[in-house]
Amino acid sequence: MKKFSKVIALLLSFAMVLAFAACGGTGTEETTAGSEETTAADLAYDLTKEGEYTADNTEYVIGATGPLTGDTASYGISVQQGAQLAIDEINAAGGLNGVNFKFDMKDDKSTAADASTGYDALYEAGMQASLGSVTSGSAESFATRADEDGIFSLTPSASADKVINASNFAFRVCFGDPDNGILSAEKLAKEYENIGVIYDSSDPYSTGIYDAFKAKMAELNVTYLEQSFDAENNRDFSTQVEALKDCDVIFLPIYYTEAGLIAKACVAKGCDAFLFGCDGLDGVAEQIDSTVTNKISYLTPFDVNSEDAKVSAFVTAYETKYGSKPDQFAADGYDAVYVIFEAMKALELNNVKVDPAELGKALTATLTSADFSYDGVTGGMVWDASGACVKDPIIVELQ
Amino acid sequence: MIKSILKSDDFKIKNCINYMVIAAALVVLVVLYNAGELKASYANLLVQIGYSIILAVSLNLVVGFLGELSLGHAGFMCVGAYLGTFISMQLSDVIESKVICLLISMLCGGLLAAIFGFLVGLPALRLKGDYLAIVTLAFGEIVRTVFKNLPWFGKAMGLTTGAVKFTKKDTPLFIIVFITVLVVLFFVQNLVRSKHGRAITAIRDNEIAAKAMGINVTFYKLFVFVIAAFFAGVAGVFYGHYTTPVMYTFFSYNYSIEILVMVVLGGMGSINGSIIAATLITVINYILQKELPGELAALKFLIYALILIGIVIFNNAPKLSPIKERLSLKVLIAKLTSKNRKPEDILNDPAHWDKIPTKIAMDEVLSTDLQPGNEYVPDKPAKGGK
Amino acid sequence: MSILFDGLSLGAIYALIALGYTMVYGIAKMLNFAHGDIIMVGAYAVFVTLMGGGHIALAIGLSVIICVVMGVVVEKFAYKPLRGASPLAVLITAIGVSYLLQSISQLVFGAEPKTVTIASLGTVSLFGATISVSSIVTLVIGAVIMAGLTLFVKKTRTGRAMVAVSEDKGAAMLMGINVNRIITITFAIGSALAAAASLFYLMQIPSVEPTLGSMPGIKAFTAAVIGGIGSIPGAMLGGVMLGVIEKICLSVPVLAPYTTAVEFGLLIVILLVRPIGLLGKKRREKV
Repeated sequence: MKKFSKVIALLLSFAMVLAFAACGGTGTEETTAGSEETTAADLAYDLTKEGEYTADNTEYVIGATGPLTGDTASYGISVQQGAQLAIDEINAAGGLNGVNFKFDMKDDKSTAADASTGYDALYEAGMQASLGSVTSGSAESFATRADEDGIFSLTPSASADKVINASNFAFRVCFGDPDNGILSAEKLAKEYENIGVIYDSSDPYSTGIYDAFKAKMAELNVTYLEQSFDAENNRDFSTQVEALKDCDVIFLPIYYTEAGLIAKACVAKGCDAFLFGCDGLDGVAEQIDSTVTNKISYLTPFDVNSEDAKVSAFVTAYETKYGSKPDQFAADGYDAVYVIFEAMKALELNNVKVDPAELGKALTATLTSADFSYDGVTGGMVWDASGACVKDPIIVELQ
Repeated sequence: MIKSILKSDDFKIKNCINYMVIAAALVVLVVLYNAGELKASYANLLVQIGYSIILAVSLNLVVGFLGELSLGHAGFMCVGAYLGTFISMQLSDVIESKVICLLISMLCGGLLAAIFGFLVGLPALRLKGDYLAIVTLAFGEIVRTVFKNLPWFGKAMGLTTGAVKFTKKDTPLFIIVFITVLVVLFFVQNLVRSKHGRAITAIRDNEIAAKAMGINVTFYKLFVFVIAAFFAGVAGVFYGHYTTPVMYTFFSYNYSIEILVMVVLGGMGSINGSIIAATLITVINYILQKELPGELAALKFLIYALILIGIVIFNNAPKLSPIKERLSLKVLIAKLTSKNRKPEDILNDPAHWDKIPTKIAMDEVLSTDLQPGNEYVPDKPAKGGK
Repeated sequence: MSILFDGLSLGAIYALIALGYTMVYGIAKMLNFAHGDIIMVGAYAVFVTLMGGGHIALAIGLSVIICVVMGVVVEKFAYKPLRGASPLAVLITAIGVSYLLQSISQLVFGAEPKTVTIASLGTVSLFGATISVSSIVTLVIGAVIMAGLTLFVKKTRTGRAMVAVSEDKGAAMLMGINVNRIITITFAIGSALAAAASLFYLMQIPSVEPTLGSMPGIKAFTAAVIGGIGSIPGAMLGGVMLGVIEKICLSVPVLAPYTTAVEFGLLIVILLVRPIGLLGKKRREKV
């Protein structure tokens, strides 16, 4: 008899699944938000509305997730420090109509699941706008979740196109990976003969740039030598440098830590090729020393040694606060906060309990409107409807 | 075989308390959810708890019951997450309901992972202990490396699963996950209590003796690996429907170790222990992530590490075992209910045969040297008589 | 040719780390997962001394001392209470110690990689390949250390006591060997080897970060198992083999992204053919 009841219980539970399946099936619409153009009517907003979780807010809450522990922790910490600096400056200057800002960043260890959990924690703690996440995978996860609630996210550094495509409310401050790859391919193909590439096969940023570079080089009909590594597993670059020793230029669509090691491997191998990279290379100056004689330069919107008053003020403030020079990530985080602040200012927002979904629509409308632009430490920026940021790179040369 | 597993020989109410508790909790949660009282964060946390339980219970089959150390459980999950979700995405073009896509892909992802489980099970026939552990670890890393380079799965960018991911508008995923947990528990508990389960524990306790008893060691070892891999694959499919993108970074050996930690903390060979530990660790991770933002995040790892070391030393240090026995829950309860029994009696109660460490030191039994004064003495007292 | 040399010098690093694994395993019968993190500690010691303007010799000395103290302390507080407990419990504790060391170093030094400047020794041309002197130094010193260790184990009293403990703990104790002391000494030697490995590591890969030790640790563990865990020459063979294979894979563009898979695949194949590793000692299983 008891056995029988157990079977019944099991059957009932399956029936429950099917019942839910049925109601799930009828109610679903197409929920995957693509990057379809949003019309102005979709973005009608009401900034006086209060949100479900924002009723207790006394400050505007800007949330984000990023890797604060683990292999990529340095990127997350830089963004966190840059963003916090901007928040402190805004608050010191009186906030927005006397209301202060608060920045809250949760650790996501660069994984999609933790970014999603972090998002939940932030949303229910009253987050009203966000910097999304720092690395591409987490940022995609974050943006997908944010899209469900209509929360605005402006990622400082996640450059994969998938991130801004995941939500109508997702924007970025940095360059997109394909832009970087195409620009580099054009420049290198024009100026150099023997071209070599070392890319990181385990990293979305690096493979994103490399794929665009490869396509462009094929289009330009230029040949080059390729080498790759897997940043999780290989940190010794002697083989790769040896293989590209005779190149005039080595293209490095990678981050500065590995680039510093490659530069040192060049010294060890007696290779004097010109090293050229993208914005990920920013910060490489800290990773090399006087033994490196190779010429290094990179495409970047941010130059820590720039004479620009805005940049030097930022660099000084950052150094005073954290005792080290800001890198690209810190600058992007800093700018992202200011962009949100300026956009909120442009909206003349005066409701600390504003509903995040309404604010999301309002910020999206503001950023994509033709007359909004922001001139930050990473250059002048405007945004297109897809969420990509349009700005001009400069080429920074070291030594 | 399956039939005999599903038909448990000794049905007792106390053996299914755990599913009753889980089922009751599920009903309460569903009611709360429908009333709009359950926050999205808790619903999502429940999904994580659910797939962690599936992972921990299935790993416990390998580590606790079969006695083989596996450091590659995340690898099976990775197979399920990538392949199962990939299948689900293909299906979603044809089938509208996400739930049906999920159910079909659970089966497919589980089966594909089970094939990998079979492949890993093969070396397990030849290798032992730490050697097998490194092979499973190697397997997990190989799977990850391959998936991160295959163009069909988005290479390093990961597999975007937005098309099939469960959103707020869909049936809450945690319901399906927990019903699956119930099914997994039903299967695993009956397996463990069936004659097959006894065969598996016999292999753990002494492989050669088990072989001598006529147990088909090859079959049972492969069987356990395949079953464990199947469930891990199912957990992976849930992961793919819970979050996007599915990225190789998640399935590193660190995650395998986290699952192993759940099993060890819960107690090897204790299914309820695995359930509790999986829940606890997931919740601790969640709380630490939530409460320690910004610069404090590194403290999270520190606290986690200290808790881990502390619990393991407390649970296993031979010197601390008297203290632990005095504090053990079972002893405390027994003390309250009956006054006459000593702690040793309670711990060695034959009624709990499945809880007593059954590792018989065969070496000692069989190879004790006969020495003068230490000869084998038959039952009758040697000196007692006149 | 130069690939071979690069592989050999990388392999020498793996071999040194693998020696630490293999010795601890042979004697204490435990997988010391935290071994890789001891290397990280050693690397930070070198980094701090060099940044403070200390001489390289001072850096080596300090790094060895700190690693040894660290190894002994970890053994005393984390592993010793568990002597006699199940190997799995010890394994989990070791993992906990590994997390602990990583998070402490992140809290102290921060997460960002720090560059270490070790004076470059220049390059030489050998058989038509450019080889950096530091990699030759790594190879030579690595070989010397390994030979010294083999002699130590074979010729000294302590060394032979170690062999005795690894063969049979109980019998060794009966012979008047202080097993606890021997295990502590093993940890000290293993940690000193880790300190040496950290220096060679920095000579080739001049950057320190909190997670520095985890991948070399796993690779070296693999090397130790390939060579037959518990065997000193096996660890050397395994390490060098792994280093060379890694470099050969990396030099083929199509294969390069799959390097890790190839290395671990090799491990599985070797274990399937020889379940005790290349030079492992066969143990009879008795009932």
